[in-house]
Amino acid sequence: MSTPSSRLRLVGAALTVAASVAALTACSSSDDSSSSAAPASSCAPASGPVTLQYWNTVPGMDQVVALWNQKNPTIKVEIKNVSNDQYGQIGNALKAGTAPELAQVGYDELANLRLQDAFVDASGCADAKAAKDKFVPWTWSQASFGDTGVFAMPQDTGPMALFVRTDIFAKYHIAIPKTWDEYAAAAQKLHAADPKLSITFFDPNNAEWFNGLLWQNSAHMYAYSGDKWQVTVDSTASRQVADYWQKLIAAKEVRTDLANTSPPMYAAYEKDQVATYVGAAWAYGMFRDNLPKQAGKWSIVPMPTWGTNPASGDWGGSTVAFMKGNKHLYESVKFNVWLNSDPEALALENKLGGLYPASLAGLQLPALSQGVPYYNNEKVFDVFADSSKNIDTSFAWGPTQKTVNLALQDAMAKAAAGSGTLGDALKTAQDAALSSMKDQAIPAAAG
Amino acid sequence: MTDEKSGRRRRLRGGGPRAGTIAAFLTPFYLPFLLFYLVPVGYALWQSFRVVRRTGGQFGHAYTTFGGFDQYLQVFRNAEFGGSLGRIALFGIVQVPVMLFVALIMALLLDTPLLRAKGFFRIAAFMPYAVPGVIAAIMWSFLYSPQLSPVVDLLNGIGVSPDFLGPGTVLWSAANISTWCWTGYNMLIMFSALQSIPPELYEAAKIDGASNWAIAWRIKVPIIAPSIILTTVFSIIGTLQLYSEPAVLRQISSNISSTYTPNMLAYAVASGNNYQQAAAISVTIAVITFVLSFGFLKLTAKRAGL
Amino acid sequence: MSQPKRARESRISRTAAMSLMVLLAIYFLLPVYFLIVASTKPQADLVSTFGLWFSHFDIVHNLKTLFTVRDGVFGRWAVNSVVYAVLGAAVGTLISALCGYALAKFRFRGRNFLFSVILGGVLVPSTALALPLFLLFSAAGLVDTYWAVFLPSIVSPFGVYLARIFASAAVPDELIESARLDGAGEFRTFFSVSFKLMTPSLVTIFLFQFVGIWNNFFLPLVMLQQEKLFPITLGLYEWNGQSSRVSLLQGSVITGSLVSIVPLIILFLLLQRFWRTGLAAGSLK
Repeated sequence: MSTPSSRLRLVGAALTVAASVAALTACSSSDDSSSSAAPASSCAPASGPVTLQYWNTVPGMDQVVALWNQKNPTIKVEIKNVSNDQYGQIGNALKAGTAPELAQVGYDELANLRLQDAFVDASGCADAKAAKDKFVPWTWSQASFGDTGVFAMPQDTGPMALFVRTDIFAKYHIAIPKTWDEYAAAAQKLHAADPKLSITFFDPNNAEWFNGLLWQNSAHMYAYSGDKWQVTVDSTASRQVADYWQKLIAAKEVRTDLANTSPPMYAAYEKDQVATYVGAAWAYGMFRDNLPKQAGKWSIVPMPTWGTNPASGDWGGSTVAFMKGNKHLYESVKFNVWLNSDPEALALENKLGGLYPASLAGLQLPALSQGVPYYNNEKVFDVFADSSKNIDTSFAWGPTQKTVNLALQDAMAKAAAGSGTLGDALKTAQDAALSSMKDQAIPAAAG
Repeated sequence: MTDEKSGRRRRLRGGGPRAGTIAAFLTPFYLPFLLFYLVPVGYALWQSFRVVRRTGGQFGHAYTTFGGFDQYLQVFRNAEFGGSLGRIALFGIVQVPVMLFVALIMALLLDTPLLRAKGFFRIAAFMPYAVPGVIAAIMWSFLYSPQLSPVVDLLNGIGVSPDFLGPGTVLWSAANISTWCWTGYNMLIMFSALQSIPPELYEAAKIDGASNWAIAWRIKVPIIAPSIILTTVFSIIGTLQLYSEPAVLRQISSNISSTYTPNMLAYAVASGNNYQQAAAISVTIAVITFVLSFGFLKLTAKRAGL
Repeated sequence: MSQPKRARESRISRTAAMSLMVLLAIYFLLPVYFLIVASTKPQADLVSTFGLWFSHFDIVHNLKTLFTVRDGVFGRWAVNSVVYAVLGAAVGTLISALCGYALAKFRFRGRNFLFSVILGGVLVPSTALALPLFLLFSAAGLVDTYWAVFLPSIVSPFGVYLARIFASAAVPDELIESARLDGAGEFRTFFSVSFKLMTPSLVTIFLFQFVGIWNNFFLPLVMLQQEKLFPITLGLYEWNGQSSRVSLLQGSVITGSLVSIVPLIILFLLLQRFWRTGLAAGSLK
């Protein structure tokens, strides 16, 4: 039987716990707030050696960082590969206040992460501000949100191009397509000639790729004006792209069962079942490394165009962002500028990770003006350089891009599986854009 | 809980321990239980009634405020939530009975003199329980993958080209992984219950010439009904929590969306920085779990005469 | 009923029963067999040779790769898994035992209420707790530490449920009474008398919790960011996701999966009888 005094003690204990719970909830509700108007952080060098965490998805980045660590013993960089659910991991870390000093962030996710107050402004560092002239202007503009601060350094871009198995096209006497109409015709011919052969695959779980195709057609997904977002994910221009691919999918002339960069994808290429790859600059090394036996069979040509408009698109490419909680901005800037503009670093990133630099000096790399043995010694980077010039630099990303991309992917997968169409997927993505912005209390309307 | 009325009470009457001592026994468990079980439940509830507001434009100051049932309304209006729940329901309605039926048959067979090498069969079936769900899913994903799988090779050899990862099949491929993991575990629960039945209970029937089959269905199964109910409840809970199997298969199949199961949906919503909505989803899943498992217990308790 | 008919019937049922069980055994063993075969193969042979038979026997090389790739992080994961599971289950078993014993043997007001709270806890899906726990631990600065996985792991309502049953069954009241009469305190009685009597069942509770923690995936997934804190499950999941870009990792995922399940399977075989007692007690009450 419990005595009154012991019951009191129990009550006391319960109260203590309740108080700590209240403290917890109070803490967490205060960190819900985020402020954008934070002034640029100070940029004093540390007095002793520092260690920086840098999260990325680039193959071979460990060797680039090893080079830095060897040259800079007082600024040690540790890396983590986050290619599995990159933005989920970054988002969790932000929420927990354990973000790394530096993280790879795609251009398309910058606004989304800024909304979560993910970045620090490094413009207090002279080196950071001065870096502006080192980069291709549109990349700097996206990374600095129109020069309102320095939140990230551009790393690479993904100007798109068409990778072609010239031997397969030659075998069936088909000309390499220059327009999307010719591409569709070639798709039909190849498939008719060999039912196991497809011109390419449509990866429904790759919104970034599809967004690149939208970009090429100037199908702007968002605009921001008058303190309000205009959402135009579902537009005439985007429908044109969606309907085009829907036809190819419906006719089973493109495969939908391959995920980009997955072992099954490589296996399908290995077995000569796929004739082209609608890719970007950073993919040049993927085929070289994973399909060594097909050396000499590949060529890289400009993207098929919509009619006579030479516009190209961008797929992927990233920045390296200064993350919230960064206590070593001075050192982070030093490393970040080196990582993305030093010729030696860039050459290594290009060689191992296939990165196509966003830095102007990087575009002058000797490696980029030479023929690439795997591609019959063609100067494939000339193709990407031309593509880069034809990219619509006004294309903008939304503040809930991550949610929109997921919704688009899920709906595209349904379409690929035969329920609904890619047009419906655009509608779904449009709705997801509007409702996710509403959830985050961001003013938005269908544009 | 019926031992309140038993004789023990009388015996312990005089020398019961002081309340402080009792608390010292209970606190090491109940304190962490409170902090890591009850508080999170309360916190999720609290969060699920909040909504985000913002001042000062797109990158302005964000804060949360009381939002009533807004988050819950959104959960129920969300087609993805309905879809994931429907998928799980289909999964559960098929997978749970199949798995438990196989487990029951195995347990009954192991309890008859019909088999040899019983120890081997018992171990073979129970062994998958030692394999973590994620590892099991990775293993099976190799067996499903058209490039690596010897199973696909064999089937191709006889002219069948299966697609374990297609839109119509991938749910059952996930169900197969769960079945593989848990059949042996459930079998062992039922088998242990069978072993504790005193043989006298069915010796008489045997002498009367009843077949093994009849003894199994008429005598043994009704006696171990409580175990069957228990395994059913655990299976229902497990089904509603489904995460790792589909998450692993998602790495190789585009037919598993980011919102394939309720738990995957909650995780996806949370990593989209919408923790309030994620909390409402978590609470809803927990309530559904509770209602189903409790409901099933209540429903069967009367039938089984418990 | 004539004898021959009976015998024939039983021969048929015998064959049918054996065939069914053999089929099921193949089903249960096949994936593990595949894993064993695959982990002896060089990377290139994984795709090009038949999966259910050996090619170049290369398991030593594969093991070396597994433990050296990415600075040998796999070894670290293995240690982490052991630490989380052994310590977590040990502490968890102790507090479950204390609590279950008190609920079984002490009379006090609110006892039934406390026990039904635990029964409710058994039914709460632990994955539903992970996200709110993550937010709470974020506020407390515990995310991405060993504690974030360890602390929630020690709580096992099912363990208390089992401990209460075992304590009622294994510890006679008379023994407690006589210890009390000898002037022993409750804790001394528990540790010197009851604990010994409960030991076999505590092993069972330990095993259940050990496996629960060893197999846990969602909690570490949500809580941990630094690879050096990962348990094996999360580490291999990450590698499996990355193996699409780094094909070297695929072989290591396979070998790592095998390495991670072998100790558990051995543990299972050695401690079989404890499972049976636990499962029987758990289902009968």
